[in-house]
Formats: sequence, C-alpha cells, structure tokens
Amino acid sequence: MRKLALALLAVGALAFAADSYLIRGVTIHPVTQPDIPDGSILIQDGKIAALGAKVAAPRGVQVIDGKGLHAYPGMIDSATEIGVSEVGSVRETNDTGELGDFNPQLRIGIAFNPASEHIPVTRANGITSVITMPGGGGRGSTGVITGQAALMHLDGWTPEDMAVSRSAAMQMVFPIIRTSNFRFPEGLTHTPYAEAKRAYDKRLREMSEFFEQARRYQQAKAAHDPGFKENLKYEAMLPVLEGKLPVMVIAERERAIREAIAFADKQKIRIVLAGIREPGKSLADLKAKNIPVIAGPTLDLPLEEDDSYDAAFSFPGELYKAGIQFAFGTFNTAFSRNLPYQAAAAVAFGLPREEAIKAVTINAARIWGAGDLIGSLEKGKWADVMLTDGDPLEARTQVKRVWIRGKEVDLSNKQTRLYEKYLNRP
Amino acid sequence: MTRLTACILCLAACRVAAEPSAIAIRGARIVPVSGPPIASGTVVIRDGLIQAVGESVAVPPGAWVIEGKDLTVYPGLIDALSTLGIPDAAPPPSGGGRPGAAPAPVPTPPATPATPPARGPEDRPSTTSWLNAADLIKPTDNRIERFRSAGFTSAVTFPNKGIFAGQGAVINLAGEKAGQMVVAAPVGQYVTLTTGGFSSFPGSLMGVIAYIRQVYLDAGHYQAERAAYQANPRGKARPEYDRALEGILGSQRMLLPATRQVEISRMIRFSRELKQHAILYGAHEGYRSAGELKTSGLPVLVSLKWPEKKKDADPEEIESYRTLEVRDRAPSTPAELAKSQVKFAFYSDGIENPRDVIANVKKAIDAGLSAEDALRALTLSAAEIYGVADRLGSIEKGKIANLIVTVGDLFQEKPQVQFIFIDGVKFEPVPELAPASPPATGGVQ
Amino acid sequence: MILKMLFSNAVALACALAAAPTVIQNATVLTVTKGTVKNGSILIRDGKIAEVGEKVVIPAGAKVIEAGGQFVMPGIIDCHSHIAAESINEGSVSVSSMVGIEDVLNSEDISIYRALAGGVTTANILHGSANAIGGKCTVIKMRWGKNAQELIFEGSTPGIKFALGENPKRSGAVANMLGTGRTARYPATRMGVEDVIREAFLEAKQYQASWREYREKMARGEDALPPRRDLKLDPLVEVLVGKRFVHAHCYRADEILMLLRVADEFGFKIRTLQHVLEGYKVAKEIAAHGAGASTFSDWWAYKMEAYDAIPFNAAIMVRKGVVVSLNSDDAELMRRLNTEAAKTMKYGGLTEDEALALITINPAKQLAIDSRVGSIEPGKDADLVVFDKHPLSNYAKVQKVLIDGDTYFDRDTDAGEHAQKDARKKALLDKEKAKPKEDQKKAAPSGARRPS
Repeated sequence: MRKLALALLAVGALAFAADSYLIRGVTIHPVTQPDIPDGSILIQDGKIAALGAKVAAPRGVQVIDGKGLHAYPGMIDSATEIGVSEVGSVRETNDTGELGDFNPQLRIGIAFNPASEHIPVTRANGITSVITMPGGGGRGSTGVITGQAALMHLDGWTPEDMAVSRSAAMQMVFPIIRTSNFRFPEGLTHTPYAEAKRAYDKRLREMSEFFEQARRYQQAKAAHDPGFKENLKYEAMLPVLEGKLPVMVIAERERAIREAIAFADKQKIRIVLAGIREPGKSLADLKAKNIPVIAGPTLDLPLEEDDSYDAAFSFPGELYKAGIQFAFGTFNTAFSRNLPYQAAAAVAFGLPREEAIKAVTINAARIWGAGDLIGSLEKGKWADVMLTDGDPLEARTQVKRVWIRGKEVDLSNKQTRLYEKYLNRP
Repeated sequence: MTRLTACILCLAACRVAAEPSAIAIRGARIVPVSGPPIASGTVVIRDGLIQAVGESVAVPPGAWVIEGKDLTVYPGLIDALSTLGIPDAAPPPSGGGRPGAAPAPVPTPPATPATPPARGPEDRPSTTSWLNAADLIKPTDNRIERFRSAGFTSAVTFPNKGIFAGQGAVINLAGEKAGQMVVAAPVGQYVTLTTGGFSSFPGSLMGVIAYIRQVYLDAGHYQAERAAYQANPRGKARPEYDRALEGILGSQRMLLPATRQVEISRMIRFSRELKQHAILYGAHEGYRSAGELKTSGLPVLVSLKWPEKKKDADPEEIESYRTLEVRDRAPSTPAELAKSQVKFAFYSDGIENPRDVIANVKKAIDAGLSAEDALRALTLSAAEIYGVADRLGSIEKGKIANLIVTVGDLFQEKPQVQFIFIDGVKFEPVPELAPASPPATGGVQ
Repeated sequence: MILKMLFSNAVALACALAAAPTVIQNATVLTVTKGTVKNGSILIRDGKIAEVGEKVVIPAGAKVIEAGGQFVMPGIIDCHSHIAAESINEGSVSVSSMVGIEDVLNSEDISIYRALAGGVTTANILHGSANAIGGKCTVIKMRWGKNAQELIFEGSTPGIKFALGENPKRSGAVANMLGTGRTARYPATRMGVEDVIREAFLEAKQYQASWREYREKMARGEDALPPRRDLKLDPLVEVLVGKRFVHAHCYRADEILMLLRVADEFGFKIRTLQHVLEGYKVAKEIAAHGAGASTFSDWWAYKMEAYDAIPFNAAIMVRKGVVVSLNSDDAELMRRLNTEAAKTMKYGGLTEDEALALITINPAKQLAIDSRVGSIEPGKDADLVVFDKHPLSNYAKVQKVLIDGDTYFDRDTDAGEHAQKDARKKALLDKEKAKPKEDQKKAAPSGARRPS
C-alpha cells in the first residue's frame, strides 16, 4: 500500500517535471531566425517560453544537456492519410474516399484514430504534425469535394486533443479529362477525347452549380429568408465562400492546374494547390496570384517518358526559383516518416537547404493557417521540438527526443518493440 | 427496286460473260517485274494462263485483242496477309502482340465455344491450328470485289483468331466457287501473341511465348511417338490424336508478329530457336532493324497501316519521342529494307479501302522506296515469300494470268485501273466506294 | 551453345571498345570489401578493374576521369526489380514456371536509363508474385542502348520466382471473383500454397526420374522414346540439381519457415527470400538454411502481412548471420537504393560498409556474381558509380556510371543530350503540324476540278 502510494507520488512528480524543460548547450535551428550555436530552449506550459544563447533555468525545471545535439521545430507533413488508414490493402481499416461527389460536410477530425500505430512510428522521425486528407490524395478518388482536411498533432488521447486545426482545408480533387482508364481485367481502355471532354465539362458545370447553390444558401441565411432551411453540405461551404477556409485542390498537370486557378478566380475562393507535378506555363500564374503549393511527391518517377530523369527531384527547386510558397507532402501514410528525405532529394537537385527545411516546417504551418502556432522555434509557439544528432534531412541522423505541445513523447513504437523483442530472441 | 435489279445486272455484267479462246493485249507497255519493262509489247492469255509475253509476240488467230496504246500491263497485286474471302473474320490483325493492337473480337468460324479458363499448355488455349483458310473461303465476301477493283488479284488469307489461328491460303480474288479461288494451301500458320486475359493461360506475353515453345516441343514428341506406334503398334499405348499438333505439323512456315525493334529482335531469335521457317509481319520499326533482318534472312511483311495520330486523342496529350519518330519514319521501312536487300512484301492490315492501301504504298515511295521495289513487294516478292513464284507474281510465260491494265502509272496520284485479269478472266473495276459507308454487297451504284 | 557464342562475341566487342585504359583519379574509393581509399585512383583495363589504390600509375594514352572530392562505389545491385520486361505476371496458373522474363526483355524501357542515373548497374529481373511457383528470372546489366540479349549478365545463374502468402492466394478468394466473371483458382490459403509447391516438386521428381530412366535405357542400347519435354517441370528439375536459384517472395515468419522446410524435404536450397519482412523473427532459421534475404528498408502496413514489418529487419538479420540485401521492387525506388541503405544505419546501427554491402557485395553474393561485381577489387568488372557526395548522404547525386569500363551515364552530358532530344522532338511535332496544310494544298486542285 505504501509502495503504491510512493509510486503514485513519483508519477505525480514526473508529471510535474514533464511540464517544463530547459534544453541547454544545443545548436538551435529556429528556422525563422539565424541558428544559435550553444543555446538554450525553455519549454513551459506547452509553449516555448524562451530561447537564446542564455536562458535562466527556473526552479523545478527538468534540465537536459543538449551538447552535440540540434534542436529543430517538429516537421509537418502537408499531405497524409495518417489516422484514417491503417493497412493499405484492408478496406475495413481505411476511412478515406466516401461515396458521393460533393461532401464538404465530412470531417477528418471525427474519424481520426488516435491509437493508430502510424502515429508513434511517424513522430519517431521528428514529424510532429500532419495534414490528414479525407480524399486519399486524389488517387483513385471519384469525388470532387472530398471533405475537410485536418491539421493534427501526432500525440494525444483523443482526436480533439490532437487537432491543431480540425478544419485546415476543404479538399477538392480537380477533375481531369480521362481518355485512358485502367480497369481490371480488361487493362487500359481508351475513351475518345470528345466523350471524355463532355463528361469533364458536365463535371465542371456540376461544380459551378454546387458553388452557386452554396452561395444562394449563404445569401438566404444572411438575409434571414423565411424559407431558409439548414443544409449540412452548404453550411460546410460557408467558411470556403467567406474566404476563411482554403480549398486544398489536388491537381497534377498543367491543364488541371490552369483550370483550377480559373475556377478559384471565378468562385473567388482561396486555394492551395497540392500534388502538382507539371505546372507548365501556369507556374507564372501561381506566382502572380500568390497561390501556395504542396509539391507532389518528390521521390517519384517523371510523368512522361521523355522527361528528364530527375524531373520530380528538381521540381521543388524550380518552385523556389519561381518564388512560389511551397511545402512538402508525402501523400502517404507509412512513408510519412520519410518526409525529410523528400526534402533532401530536392536539395541534391537544386533547392537551397534552408528552403527545404522551411518547406517541412514553417511554410507548411503558414500555408495551413498555423504559422503563429507551430513550424518554428519561437517564443510563444507550441513547443513542437525535436532533438537530433545531426541534419534531420539525412537518413543516418537519429532523432533523439521529441516534444509535442511541450510534452515529451515516447519515441518507442510497435516497430521498436518488435525490434527489441526479436533481437533478443534466443 | 429498279436500282436493285440494276445492281444484280451489273454484278453479273462485270464479269465478261462469254470467254474467248484467247485474249491479247497488244502494243502496251508491259512491266513483267521478273524482267525489265517492255516499252511496247504483247501479252497473250489463254486458258487462264499467260501464253506468251514479249515485244514481238504474234496475236493468235481468233484472239480477242485489246489495243494497248497508252495502257500499262502489270502483274496483279497480292495482299500478302489478309482475311479476304473469310468474311466473318475481323479486319486483319495488326502486327505486334501488344494488347490494344489486337484485332476486334469477331470470331472466325468455326468459333471456339466459350470454354473454361485454360490451366496450361495442355489445354491448347487459343489454338485452331488445324483450321485451313482454304476451307473457309466464301466467294461472297464483299471485300473481294473492292480489292480486285484496285488491282489486287490475289491475297494470302488466314483465319485470324487466337495464338495459332490456322493455316493460310493463297487465293485469287475471283471465282464463283471457293475451290476455284484457291491457288495454294496451306501456306503457313498464322501466329499472334494475344493473351487469354489475366485468369486464363496464357495471360501474358511471356506466357504466350512459352506456350508456343511448348507446342513445338509437343509436336516433335507427338511425331516421334506416332511414328514409333505406326512402326510397331503391338504392346504400345496408342498416342492420343491431337488436332492442334496435327495443324502445327502440317504448317510449312509460321507468321510471327514483330512491329517494334525489340519485337523484331525477339522474334528473329525465337524463330531460330524453334527452327521454323518464319515470316515476320508488322515491321513498322523495320527502319531501325534492316541490318538485323538482313542477317536473319527472314522475309518480312510490312503492314501498310502506317501509324497515325489518334483522331480522338486529347489535344494536350504528350506523346513520346519514340511514338512521334515511328509515326514519321515507319513509311521509310520499305526503303531501308530494300537498301539492305531484305525480302519483303506488303499487306493491307485491315485498311478497308484498297485505294488507301495504294496511297500508303505511295507514302513508302515518298519516303525513298523505288517504284520498282514497291511493285515487286506487291507482286513477285509476295509470291516468293509464300513459295508460289512459280505461278504468281510476274508476267511470265506459263504463269497464272493475273494481270492489271492501267492508264498511266500504277503509282500516280489517281491510279486508273482499266481492266483486271484473274485466271485469264477479265474484270472491270467497280466505281469507287463513297467513303465511310461501304455497301453490303458489290458496291455498285 | 549459341548462347555461349553470343557471350564470347559480346565480350570480344566490349574488349575492342574498351581498348584504351581508363583511370578515375583523386576520388574517395569505397571498395566495400577492402575499406576506403581516400584520394584513391582506379585503373580500368579491358572493362575490368586493374588496380585500386592511392598510387596508381596512369598508363600512356589512358582516358582520365578527374573525380577530386567525389566518391566512387561499386555499381549498385538490385536483387528484385521488374523493369525492362514487357510482362511480369503469368497470373493464370498457380505454377507458371514455363514462362520466363528473358523472353520478354525490353532493352528500350526508359526505366533502365533512370536506374542507371541512380547508380544501379545490375538487377535481378523477377517474375511477379501471383503464383506459388512463378516464372523464370534473369539477371541483367543496365547496358542502356544495347539490345535485349546484350543486357543479360553473362554467365549468371538463372532464377525462378516463388511467392507465398497473400498474393498467390488472392486469386483463390471466391469473394474477389464475384461479378468479375472469373473463377477462383487454387490455392486460397497458406496451407494451399505449401501444397502447390509440394505437388509441383513431387511431379518434378517423377519427371526427373522418367528422364533418368530414359537415359539409362539409351545407355544400355535399348530402344526408347524420350519423355515429353515439359517446360513447366524443366526449371523445377534445375532447381533440384542446383542450376537455378529460387527467389521466394514472402512476408510472414510462418510461411518463411514453411518454405525452408519444403526445400529441406525435397533437397534443394532457397537462394533468396524476397521482401521477407518478418525475416527478423526467424533470422536464425534463415541463416541455418543458408538463404539470403533481400528486403525493403522501411516499407510497412501496405497490406496485412506487412503490418509487423520493421525497418530494423535488415540489421537484425545481418546481426544474426544472414546475407542481406536491400531491393527496390520498384522502378522509382531503384534509383535511390544508396539512401535506402543509409536507413539501416539509423535503424539498427549498421556501419557504413555494412550498409553499402546491402546494395553491392551482398546482392552479388545472393546472385552468385560476387566474383564479377559487388566491390571494387582488381579483376572485377569495372561497374562503378561516381557520386558527388558520400553515397550514404541524402544529398548525394550520381555523376557517372560505368559498366564494363564504359560510361553509360554521365550527368554532365545528360542535360545536353536531353535538350537535343527535345529539339528533335519539337522538329517532329512541327513537321506533323505542317503536314495537314500540305495535304490541303495537294487536295485543292483536284477539288477545283470537281464538276459543278
């Protein structure tokens, strides 16, 4: 009994100490400011309370020697299915790609599984927040508006705890003119262009009509029209129409990008273009209209046989040169932990390294409206911090410790447990 | 009603009713193909054969004389791979074994009934090797007259469904009975590399190749087993009769699809491995393979269906350099083959209008092929490839009187075929079809 | 016989081409098996590595590749790839050993060039995983520009693909067939997969016996007909006599063990276990059998049998004495196996040389081509990759790739060649655009003549 009481006491003490930390003697990479060699970071009440060359240690704070280590803001993956997809091929474990074409009312935030094994595995490599998309990255998705993507912290007891933003963006998969289809077991089938174009035009009309309906709904609601009836779909569109919520538009090639921009102009909505691979001439438009971009998976093959072998690797560098604000996304679940290597490949092929770091931290935070909360090591921001023994974009680097909202998180996971278990198998 | 009667009348009239004992085309320019052109000479036709040809050949008494001034006489053209005369067959297969290039699924009679998925080579999937085109010919095939009118007097025609589709026949494109039309049969096994879909063997290109290899091994084994049994049946298990292998053993050559360079290399190696006389068909990338083809010694049938940009393609579709290059260079294949002295002939490959076939030969000429070589490919080379040059393909004494008589050159902008002779019987060309709507019969207005 | 002649011709040709010696100088040479030579040089003669060291005398007339500040490693070997083939799966049957990749090699697959640009010089091209016993496999070198036959790694031992678990039993799932018009195919369970393999080898043994009997009869001077050659069973007999390597796709520990036991039962060896994501659970048994393991760095959770996959798999197996390689199974990943190898330093703490071995000498051993490739040693093929930075860095880029001493990729010329191709392509497009106008012009006069 006494023992138990003592143990409880110990847990309490630990919990108290866990609230505040002082990391000392560490190389700080705030991202938004110049690096601080041999600096200190004070974490209190979930926030970064102070950082600099010299920070006084308040009483009761847990002091961590950061000698030889590097402190970076936790990384942000701007496109994943984490929390809504467990085992890729097992339908029952997937909650993306709802039926229906227009589903703005669907919210990732309520279906996010906080116990997913992907969460501890991913954060063990320093990724502390992710965008989780309801439309599965647009690949194989048939809908247009697939629901609301959430920006989630990779630690917490419930989805409510974990949400940085329960609604970070409305996801839209921009339709394409599909002249070839792969169907099993027939293989590749060809649809005449005119026919595919008709289907596409019809889809565009439906999109315009849907937005028009939503706008009428908005007007009726604002005017307190007596005939006004609440509608969940249109209600969910209001923040989009009001410009409060960006639309994350999945568009890969030039035509889709061009038409998505035109659509956004016409509907006067704010967009983030995601998964873009081949913007062609519309690159200039992206810059002119200040449209942020989530670069399509960088570790990918060129789209066309004749493209340069390194087309996907060098694309982020081109975005940077064009002056476009962009972040990286893995468009994946199990590979979300490899986000930094996507950035590193872009560096090898022309992106300045500091821009690559920004594209996995502060750029993403800003694009998703959380620039004042996360994405850099700054006083007053959530303490999403990782300590590494080297450059986090290098695979050899170990992530030593991670804090999310000022709480140090466990870096062990299903995989480390299996590792230890079987390494020691007699 | 009157129109219909006229049609029937005209159909009958197109074939000259009373056959004279001999026909002489006198004072015409003659292009024998087997020798130098004769500026002004005479061809004598009797009993369906060429009785004489030369500058100073006497016109037999009683012969029906055609004054040949301003006319040119050529050997009749041969479509070296077709389904002409097998009206239910799909438009002839295009070369290459890639899905999508496969012919439309119209079954060749007798169609194989729906069978359970094949579980291996022993089920002899997609095999009708025993089919003989000669047995399938229908003189009523409405395409015959159309091709004849453009100057085609013969075709090498094949059943076209399946991996081992069956045996071909050289036919003349005229005759009231199928038997009259057949010049030689069987002349070779038509092989395609079509797959049975994912769940039926063979479901892949390598499966098809493995299947073909196994069938030839089986044929060898079958032959040995059968011979041993024939020699001494007592006390021996009776080998099971296998019509698929019978068909293979009866084939003196195999036709293998090879359109791209990698396919050409692959099929050259494959035919060598199988130790079979092979003919490659397709050959659109032959311009890249002329040297290799020459070394192989294999004859080639060049598809005249030159690759074209898809008419219903997405205008923003990005085509590969390779696609564009092949589209540009494919018509130069015949010139390259001629330069490398590769034996080749042409085939229509499903082009419906024979005028387009000739127009596409002209594209090859524009791309460097000499008119002489083009004509040879359409006549004597085709006959040689199928081993019927002793009876077809040139204007020589004793050969079958398959001739065309034109006003002006065959390869001019608008060729004018005046008469066609098949087995010595004279035909006049039916007027050209209205484009896009091939009539059900005859094509006479 | 013919094959042999072809090979010797190819070798002769290579020798003629590579007549002038080549020296790569001033590089950090990562030999993998003999340590690292800082500021080292490599002399290449007749397509082979002649000398490696700090002091290599440059022969007169040698072509010199200046690689100051750069890193040279052996050409990367991918033990599991599906590029350069026009078909991958003969999925219709549970035993598809009659088919082979060699029949459908496509030397014009652009993936070959892309793999080269990622430093890969050799790859094991495998049949797919739809069948318990799949088709025959071929080892190739990335000799971009050569024809299909010239891609084949001369003298390499051919392989055959096996597959266990979810993929081969998928076609047996009746529910999957509903509405597809297809019928279910045995097996539908892991037990059935084992049965298919055992049945096939039983048949192969009987087939082998029938040939033996025939040969004995012939030797005794008796009259006998040879048995029917069965292309499905021939490769299995080759497996039984050790002339063909088994590369077995597998995931779970139980099925790995099953296969090792079946192999023991029939007296053959499993050369490599492919994917083998739960290999770490039975590493001891794998090592005891002598099977190699060719795995992914960190793939997991894409299917149920990959849910227990861990990125420490390679490291555990290495530590437990298994010859381990990392493979790509993917035309994209193939281009960056070097950084995949780097992950094993993070997950499981392999050393640099151990990590590099996973993509060089170890896969070479697995394919029994380690006397030819896989490390930088005199006498071996000059298959070399020059990187601008250490190849285990994610910032490293391939600069040059040599195979048999000939340069097959050069980043310095790639861009220029690409621009030239673009220009040629544009010319073709312009030509095609101009054509319809030309045709119209041609058509105009005849149109004018049309009677009104």
